[in-house]
Amino acid sequence: MIFIFGSKVEAQELYVFTEPASNIPANLLSARLMSSFYKEKFESGTNIHFMPEVRYGISSKLMVQAQAYISNRETGYVSEGGGIYAQYKFLNNDEVKKHFRMAAYGRMSYNNSDIHQEEIETVGHNSGFEGGIIATQLLHKVALSSSLSFEQAMNNSSYEFPDEWSSSAMNYTFSVGKLMLPKKYTSYDQTNFNLMLEFLGQRLNENGKSYLDIAPSVQFIIKSRARIDLGYRHELYSEMLRTAPNGFVVRFEYNFYNVL
Amino acid sequence: MLLPILGIGQIKSASLQASGLTCSMCSNSIYKSLKTISFIEEVDSDVETSTFNIKFKTNQEVDLDALQKAVEKAGFSVASLKFVMNVNNLKVQNQQKTEIGDKTFYFVNIKDKVLDGDVEFRIVDKDFISPKEFKKLKSRLEPSGDKRIYNVTF
Repeated sequence: MIFIFGSKVEAQELYVFTEPASNIPANLLSARLMSSFYKEKFESGTNIHFMPEVRYGISSKLMVQAQAYISNRETGYVSEGGGIYAQYKFLNNDEVKKHFRMAAYGRMSYNNSDIHQEEIETVGHNSGFEGGIIATQLLHKVALSSSLSFEQAMNNSSYEFPDEWSSSAMNYTFSVGKLMLPKKYTSYDQTNFNLMLEFLGQRLNENGKSYLDIAPSVQFIIKSRARIDLGYRHELYSEMLRTAPNGFVVRFEYNFYNVL
Repeated sequence: MLLPILGIGQIKSASLQASGLTCSMCSNSIYKSLKTISFIEEVDSDVETSTFNIKFKTNQEVDLDALQKAVEKAGFSVASLKFVMNVNNLKVQNQQKTEIGDKTFYFVNIKDKVLDGDVEFRIVDKDFISPKEFKKLKSRLEPSGDKRIYNVTF
């Protein structure tokens, strides 16, 4: 799926489950730790992932990101792989307290865990790649964003991708975020509080099976440079095998400005 | 003494409004980007209006384009840039080039008059105003050749 986990730029568009078309500033280094806790559907327990991540703004238009995938799917916590991601902003229309932006992105991931579900997710589950476009509209305190992407799964190291499953998918997302607090800004030290609601869908190309999830989240921005996200993801419907679709996501982020 | 001449053409301060943002995290990234500029003494930001009041160091050359680049690097745009410059009995005419200090200015949409003391100007070049306003003014602006020409108004 498209879970290019959130980013900076406009707080109300710092979505938890998707990325806005806005990039992080040039010369900014952002460190993140994402943890997800998804309830196993067919066995007892919780599928826990840790994904430490760094991202860097090469210019105002291009940012790159590297991420490691750690999970408890096997016995204990093991490192299962990693991914690299790049996003290029190709359209930027700014007005006072408004913008419309579009970006293209690509990701490549490596993963050595077993392939246990039909859902394709190159962030933390499948080896493969993803490419897509994002459009984001900011209107004062509200931000709307939508994305469309193509995702291709490959063999996970020694685990072959099952022939009978579709190895590629289209992903589509719609996200809305609203800045709730502060009502009026007086300084960078005020804590910002944002509410978000996202819809995340996937359709497998070879058999047409699909799912759609709803994902509400809350977010706190501390001193205009750190961020805490709490999100919940819930399956609305699914025609494909997914082993742990419902659960929580927690993310911490800290931004280092002008690092070079 | 050189003193009476030194202050002429000195850009003392600027007020910059950025566009494309509302939240404090974005405003902070513009603030941090402006703070890296060596000839800036102090930046005071108003997060609510996305406005940055900038004080420049005295007797240092002020590169107004560097301010625009800093905002762009943070991922945003300049909606308006006004600056205060010291002039001495300077006669300015509409649609005319004038040398002040080491910079060349071209005056747009003004009435001819004589300026004295600290005067506030607004840059109307591309990327310093909204694309809408630039479209309207474009035909009246003087393009920069080898030397940078700042199109300004009051």
